[in-house]
Amino acid sequence: MDLTGGYNPRRARLLIELKTENLYHIPAVCNQCENAYCMNVCPSKAIQRNDDGIVCIDPDKCISCGLCAQFCPIGMVTLDPDTQKAVKCELCQGEPLCVEVCPTFALELVYRGNINE
Amino acid sequence: MSSAYTNKLLMIDLSRESFETLPVSNDLKKDFIGGKGFGAKLLYDMVLPETDPLGKDNVLMFMTGPLTGTMAPAMRGCVVTKSPLTGIFLDSYFGGSFAPEIKYAGYDGLIIKGQAKKPVYIWINDDTVEIRDAWHLWGTDTLKANEQIKTELNDDTIKIASIGQAGENQVLFALVCCEYNRQAGRGGAGAVMGSKNLKAIAIKGSKLVSIHDPKRFTKACATAFKELEASPDVEAFRVAGTAASVDFANETGLLPHKNYQNGTFSKASKLADKGQARHLWLGSAACMGCPIRCSKIGAIRSGKYKGTITDIIEYESAALMGSNLDISDIRAVAHLTKLCDLYGMDSMSCGNLIGFAMEACEKGVIPSPQGISLCFGNIDAAEYLVHAIANRTGELGMLLSKGVKQASEEIGITAIDLAVHAKGLESPAWGPRGVSGMGLAYMTTDRGGCHQRGFTVTYELSGEWKGAPLDPLSPKGKARMVIALQNYSAGRDTLVNCDFGSYGISDDTYAELLSAATGQKTDPATLVETGERIWNLVRCFNLAQGLDPKKDTLAPRFVNEPLPDGPSKGHRISAEDMDYMRQEYYQLRGWDKKGIPLDKRLNQLRIAYAGHHK
Repeated sequence: MDLTGGYNPRRARLLIELKTENLYHIPAVCNQCENAYCMNVCPSKAIQRNDDGIVCIDPDKCISCGLCAQFCPIGMVTLDPDTQKAVKCELCQGEPLCVEVCPTFALELVYRGNINE
Repeated sequence: MSSAYTNKLLMIDLSRESFETLPVSNDLKKDFIGGKGFGAKLLYDMVLPETDPLGKDNVLMFMTGPLTGTMAPAMRGCVVTKSPLTGIFLDSYFGGSFAPEIKYAGYDGLIIKGQAKKPVYIWINDDTVEIRDAWHLWGTDTLKANEQIKTELNDDTIKIASIGQAGENQVLFALVCCEYNRQAGRGGAGAVMGSKNLKAIAIKGSKLVSIHDPKRFTKACATAFKELEASPDVEAFRVAGTAASVDFANETGLLPHKNYQNGTFSKASKLADKGQARHLWLGSAACMGCPIRCSKIGAIRSGKYKGTITDIIEYESAALMGSNLDISDIRAVAHLTKLCDLYGMDSMSCGNLIGFAMEACEKGVIPSPQGISLCFGNIDAAEYLVHAIANRTGELGMLLSKGVKQASEEIGITAIDLAVHAKGLESPAWGPRGVSGMGLAYMTTDRGGCHQRGFTVTYELSGEWKGAPLDPLSPKGKARMVIALQNYSAGRDTLVNCDFGSYGISDDTYAELLSAATGQKTDPATLVETGERIWNLVRCFNLAQGLDPKKDTLAPRFVNEPLPDGPSKGHRISAEDMDYMRQEYYQLRGWDKKGIPLDKRLNQLRIAYAGHHK
């Protein structure tokens, strides 16, 4: 909501895949991969890792080619239907809105050591 | 101005293979809010008297509420149409993720009219609407159709409403399956869909549902979540869904056993939460965005039916497919319920009908089909009938596929005494003989035998309504309570909020959510008044469609036969009691002695146009 100005889970930066008649619910969040395919395939160098290890997209450099979305192994990069720019979870500058708003406290932000180490 | 309404309805004409969008007027929003309200008004305007429910002129609508698809907890959708089972108004509600997707595609609702020449399905991708061939899907069950459409459109995230073979065969209580394990179950909306040669509707929406005042709305949502967490009732639903009601209904003598002959069942607990948890449940599941997560999804692990994936067996199915048939093996009940889900027919009506057939056969009113011992407790006989009804095979299958009212009338007078329904809709699993207010609710409910338009049971058993004492067995003082609950529920069904949400969320919070989301100032009283407006409009619609007010009555069993067991043993709701409650009800509603709304009340409710019917 705060990110996009409205509600639609398809615009969320994480997803829950429902499988086998809803018996299994498999969550997917961006892994900020050490070897990030989205970053590797970007022809305009719009995708860079920041000092905190988060893979971020610069919308000014993004040329909307969609290669990042195509090669993300878990569907975590998408093209915004309004702007046609690539978007992904960048952890909201360290204070993820999804964690803040989750009514059941199912989400939390945890650090598993430094990715550059 | 930003609002949670999309302000558009999508109308699809299957005869002309065309579609158009209709604007949602401010008057419609003001007087009818959404959901049931929109459906009732549009049905009143679009479906003329004498319309064949299974003909091209009936409309099938999927309506959302203004809060559907937002973060407001536990919001759903509803199907509204003229029922082929009862010949009157039908609203049937479904959770899951199909209703929000309608909003995300940019619509407050879908209206489907006409009749396709051959089997089709509708594919809605935002503004793109296609009517596609469905010959290859015809004959598949509800879930197979779902899977095949996702495969052919190459997208697992599409949301689908589909019918199974029962809908194709126009079994009069066929349902619409809204994924997953959610159904617009009652009253035969699936048969209407089948009559239109419409196998499924597939939707994908990329648009945003916006909010008038996001800050205020987020705050109201936080309040709603807090209220849900604080409610012990909601906690009970989170732990055991509706399955715990089996023990409750058994202890209070309201559980149907052997076609409602009795109100208790010695093996009830095997069908309740503990039995289900042991044999079926693996984890919790929720409708989109709902923190209650009342679904308990799992699988049958042992015995003859092992391997079947099953959701919680809701109270209604556990009772009507279980205790009502004298079956106590929850795995068998899960199997029978799953068969109904796959064929796409209402497991409540179906359980009621099988119970009727078993009793009729035991009493020699009808013969047993060749090779089948049609008697209570026989699981194989129940399964035989599920297949026979859904496929409309054999004399008995054909007969029962028309619902218990028509079936009993065709068999004859002795069968009519065994048929348990109101206005043609098979009664739900709450025997009313120990709670006469529930009886009045069944007598007067807009869609026929339904417990969800005024569930009096908990108030009556607590012995109190709004601070005043209440005798569950007496006919007195029931009308006031039933009317209040009916208006309340019709008001809430405009949102379209789940009944379980309102166990926790306060009236003020719902009004605040609505005001913040739409910018339309609302308070709890407005919602109730809207409910009363809808209730009266639907009554006028039903009368215009030929409803005889004399049908505001109960099944003969509840009137003539004293309850043989349970705490209210010996009680029945006599013709005199019914008459007393009915007259009190009509008077308080502002209707005449025959049950026809008076112009004065209709004027006050701003629906004067609905009066003067024949």
